[in-house]
Amino acid sequence: MRRLIRMSDSRSGLSIPILAIPVALIIILTTMAHGFASLENLSNLISQIAALMIVAIGQMTVALVMGLDLSVGSVISLVTCMVATGGSPALTVPFCFAIGMMVGLLNGWGVTTLRIHPIIMTLSSMTFLQGVTLMWQPIPGGHVPDIFSVIGVGHTLGVPHSLIWSILCAVAFSILLNYSRFGLHLYAVGGNTVSARLNGVAVNRVTVSAYVLCSLLAVIAGLYLAARIASGDPKIGASFGLDSITAIALGGTQLSGGVGGVVSAIIGALSLGLISNGMNLLGVSPFLQSSAKGFILIVAICAQRRKTVGL
Amino acid sequence: MMSVEESLLDETSDERQDPSGVVVAQNVSKSFGFTKALDNVTIIGKAGAVHAITGENGAGKSTFMKILCGVEKPDTGKLFIHGQEVRFTSANDALNYGVSAVFQEFTLLPNLTIAENMYLGREPMRSGLLSRQGMIRHAQETIERIGVNVKMDWLAGRLSVSEQQLVQIARGITADAGIFFFDEPTAALNKTEVDRLETIINELRTAGKTIFYISHRLEEIFRFCDSITILKDGKHVATVSRASIDEDKLVMLMVGRPMQDLFPPYGQAAESIALDVHSLIPIQDSPEVQLQLHRGERLGLYGLEGQGQREIIRSIIGVIRPKRSHIMKISRDGNPVRLTPEDGVVSCLRMDIGYIPEDRKIEGLYLDLSVHENVALGCLKNLRLTRLAPNASKLVEDIMERMQLQAQSLRQTVGSLSGGNQQKVMLGRWFAAGVDTLLIEQPTRGVDIGAKAEIYKQLQEFAASGGAVLIVSNELTEVIGLCDRIIVVRQGRFVSEVTGRKATEEGIMEYALKDTVSGNKV
Repeated sequence: MRRLIRMSDSRSGLSIPILAIPVALIIILTTMAHGFASLENLSNLISQIAALMIVAIGQMTVALVMGLDLSVGSVISLVTCMVATGGSPALTVPFCFAIGMMVGLLNGWGVTTLRIHPIIMTLSSMTFLQGVTLMWQPIPGGHVPDIFSVIGVGHTLGVPHSLIWSILCAVAFSILLNYSRFGLHLYAVGGNTVSARLNGVAVNRVTVSAYVLCSLLAVIAGLYLAARIASGDPKIGASFGLDSITAIALGGTQLSGGVGGVVSAIIGALSLGLISNGMNLLGVSPFLQSSAKGFILIVAICAQRRKTVGL
Repeated sequence: MMSVEESLLDETSDERQDPSGVVVAQNVSKSFGFTKALDNVTIIGKAGAVHAITGENGAGKSTFMKILCGVEKPDTGKLFIHGQEVRFTSANDALNYGVSAVFQEFTLLPNLTIAENMYLGREPMRSGLLSRQGMIRHAQETIERIGVNVKMDWLAGRLSVSEQQLVQIARGITADAGIFFFDEPTAALNKTEVDRLETIINELRTAGKTIFYISHRLEEIFRFCDSITILKDGKHVATVSRASIDEDKLVMLMVGRPMQDLFPPYGQAAESIALDVHSLIPIQDSPEVQLQLHRGERLGLYGLEGQGQREIIRSIIGVIRPKRSHIMKISRDGNPVRLTPEDGVVSCLRMDIGYIPEDRKIEGLYLDLSVHENVALGCLKNLRLTRLAPNASKLVEDIMERMQLQAQSLRQTVGSLSGGNQQKVMLGRWFAAGVDTLLIEQPTRGVDIGAKAEIYKQLQEFAASGGAVLIVSNELTEVIGLCDRIIVVRQGRFVSEVTGRKATEEGIMEYALKDTVSGNKV
């Protein structure tokens, strides 16, 4: 319990109000929305959230180094179209990862070496990739090889694979952030770039790596979504850029760097997922849902306390 | 002086062949833009010795350290460590050669724990993962040696400034290094902590390490160091042994002028009052204070850190909106006008009052704008937004010439100037605005001795021409040397008042420290 109270001045981004959001949402939805607590809906919820969770972990990694990645959505779209039309998965999957790597390197290079603001840099790669995707495949379609749905959306012993994949990503990133030199350096760069450099942290390399990891996670999310919808959709990722930012803000990650963590990203994605799912069940119009998300982003940012760790 | 230098040069040339020089920086030069930060400097560090590197701000001390610590690369010149030529590519690289540094800037990361901060960049690993236990255990040992009462898993962001400084020192000495750099390590330390630092430095010396101690605090230089190297304007002036020099001579070498010439003569306060603070309660629960600032007067408020002097000056000008105030500003022709700091700083600055905040970089200057623009803003102060800006080139030029600003041109950005020149720009802005009252916090913080003298002279001339100056400073020598009248502040109260002529450091400190409240009427 003492750990729980002390959490608010740690760098994990977690605090009691932030943990309370999903709990409150679950209670509210169980009582108000019919069918929320059904096994079918919960399983549906998990597969809905899985992609967002994976992307949010990447977005959080970039946010740790004071960055922002709007291009994740376009990467996702491109990946679904690639695997839907590109033929053998033995070829398309490595190709997708290579593209993700390239996009991340480019974003990171622009932000560090060219000193372009992260929003501008990733906005331009977002639009560029969106254009490429639409040229490649203007309308949804194609065929995703069957192996994807086996690996991506099946069940093992009643556990949906989507859950397994997101847990794998989460565990890997938890270890990376908390028990690797690189993870510590991510926090250091976010804390103060100049000091980090004076203390021997290779700031640019760490920053570029964060963008690369974020894009790679977007690729994984894209592969998962392709498996789920079984076709390529050039627009499917469009909402992921802003959704992932809203999610990490809801989870307590500070967009100005240095504070955040895997758990906080997951909690944030869960909160946002519950809100969407709830609004669907309650029959809220999709247009209103979009407005609601915009509103939530502002509220989440305003509610962040800047002084949590003296940053 | 010449003879001293010559004998020194001989000494250095001897040392060059001397194998006991652990660190040799040979003919190192470094420029930033057009400024030569270091010009052909040769410095040698021996084992088991503490070398002071001193000089005014901007003399190149910190640049020298950054080059030897791998943060900056020299333009020309060579570095040798144990006789082997080295080229550092990063701070980490230098550390691998056994060079450890405590930088002047507070370089702790607020979101990292103390242990993590101490081992950042050289984290202990166990089977490919961070070894937090190892980090905490080692860090604990050093922290205990230094004697800071902190826990290893605290985030550095919650530490006080002096604790941060001590942790930073701890970080420096945990390194398994043979060469140590300390850049102004005592800026935030109290006396006991400085004593402890002395012990640590002595231990390092006894252990045969090479220590460079960068400071302009003469007392510590003479206390800690075996030899003293003086830099001036990026050039090597002299390297002398401690025994062969005294404080006055050292200052002469640093500034090129004796110390007593630093302060201008005391002035004569006129009968007429410029600022009449009938009553002021700066913040909730603070005692009421009253003061009268006369024309022609330099009035100083002195107190130990956090005794309320800062709040008083800030609430007169409205940066802090006071709880209650009754302040009259009396203009040159004798018209009293009520000052309303409750309405904020903008309304107060309209009343011919200038204010120079302690942190000029954040609170005072527009670092990305040019000298001209920063000064000319003073003339625009009371103009309506829709008015076109008048041409102030001539005025700005005159003012900055009078203040002997050292800049390539008035188009240079203020951010690239040295601290002293930045402060001159701050002053120049208010002179351009034609104010008759100046409120100044820490007039010469981060300002080198040469520029200090110039700033003091400007303030004296300003007062002599009928201006009034209210100063808050933490530097006792400055308060005594600069101010005609000094008020000692303790716990928000005025506990004593003395004229600059009669003031002694001991007398003022007694009031600043002691618990004898003698009323607050001045």
